[in-house]
Amino acid sequence: MERRDFIKEFGLGAGALAAVPWLASCVRKPDAAKGDKARLALIGSGSRGQYHIHMLRGIANAELVAICDPYEVNLQAALALCPTAKAYSDYRRVLEDTSIDGVIIATPLGSHARITLDAISAGKHVFCEKAMALTLDECKAVYDAYTHSDKALYYCMQRMYDEKYVKGVQMIRDGLIGDVVGMRCHWFRNADWRREVPSPELERKINWRLYRENSAGLMTELACHQLEVCNWVADRMPVEVAGLGDIVYWKDGREVYDSVSLTYRYSDGRKISYESLISNKFNGMEDQILGKNGTVDLTRGVFYLEEDNLEPGIKRLAKQIVDKTFAAIPTAGPSWRPELRSAYAPHPLIEGQVSVNAGQSMVSADHDGSDLILEAFCNSCITGSKAESVVEEAYCATTLCLLGNQAMDEKRVVSFPSEYKIPYMKF
Amino acid sequence: MKDIILKASSIKRELVILLCCFAAAELLNLAAVIFYSRPAIELLSMIGYVIVFSIITYLLLWIPRLVALLIKKISITR
Repeated sequence: MERRDFIKEFGLGAGALAAVPWLASCVRKPDAAKGDKARLALIGSGSRGQYHIHMLRGIANAELVAICDPYEVNLQAALALCPTAKAYSDYRRVLEDTSIDGVIIATPLGSHARITLDAISAGKHVFCEKAMALTLDECKAVYDAYTHSDKALYYCMQRMYDEKYVKGVQMIRDGLIGDVVGMRCHWFRNADWRREVPSPELERKINWRLYRENSAGLMTELACHQLEVCNWVADRMPVEVAGLGDIVYWKDGREVYDSVSLTYRYSDGRKISYESLISNKFNGMEDQILGKNGTVDLTRGVFYLEEDNLEPGIKRLAKQIVDKTFAAIPTAGPSWRPELRSAYAPHPLIEGQVSVNAGQSMVSADHDGSDLILEAFCNSCITGSKAESVVEEAYCATTLCLLGNQAMDEKRVVSFPSEYKIPYMKF
Repeated sequence: MKDIILKASSIKRELVILLCCFAAAELLNLAAVIFYSRPAIELLSMIGYVIVFSIITYLLLWIPRLVALLIKKISITR
């Protein structure tokens, strides 16, 4: 079955909808006329914006009619990809165009909330890059505006539409690895996160990720995706977070941490152990769900079993013979032995080729769910229907990221503030 | 240099021993399939492991056989 079809089929199943209600947005309603197109504007045409142009080319019911960016270099680069689009340098002029159904926001984080609120007020459907906003107040303002509006709002949390994640979470809930006892996520890179700047006055605009006026650093840029997955699996929100953040290596004037280590705790004692470092890439990126009977690595789309019953019988027998013959003195049993990580056999979560966006190259980067969530947004622009739970999931993930930063800045355990709780949250 | 003559009966005997080792390894595979509740297809798909098991068994069998041969030689020379 094709990846796209799998998601759509999954979205139609009544049972599955309880776990992944947002997948229903992948399926066009029958009342939408064939040939209808969503007329879209792109606000922010940097690298991520251009990536969305690439995606839109593959979506039959999408038409990019306007591109907006105050930075001329990015605007021209995007127009080269879509020459028929009208050029703008001020997003407010885009919102005045009544022929536009929806806007795609791919601007620096600091402007997400403002543009989203203005777009909803202007009656546009909105697709915004994650994270939701730079502050908790902005998140709440956007959430409130969305709940009082009839417009669709999407956040590009592509893991929610990624086949291996969807299937993996379903299998975890079906008991694949027994009780989930913890979660371990990390994202390691070895790069300074900088972009080339043609003149010094553009430093804070181009390298916006490094400065606090527009960025919350590793938490909103990387952890946001991973924390969303943890909540999805746990089906609840952590009650508190503690963590430490530092600028360990890239002491180049940046204001955001280049090394973070946090622990999020759920009310039942389970924890998310989160770490991100951008001066060593040995461990790469992993979203590990730890169960009593096994571990699922959603990033790679594989699972490992503690007692691997899926291993061929004769192989297990051979291992037992070797273990019995050559084992060290069995004094005190297994509790005494040093436990180095075993070479567990990986088992695929889904049949066929798994699309993994490893981050080091753009190979497979367009099959990580980004295309499907964008297509779902186009459907919403045509039908006017909202996607279920997408905004709520983005709200939960973003608030956790921001609370993580608060915990690191204030060097204390931060509990989830009651004023930012929404009905969707379970603790 | 002395020629080594391999008699047909010797080759036949070694082949029979190897075949017995293979049968024993396949029996072990069958036992593993039953014991660990694995699919029957492993009787065929794990043939590589079975062959390796048979060769190891065959080589291990040479140890007592060499010992027996040595004892026999010593007793004849006395």
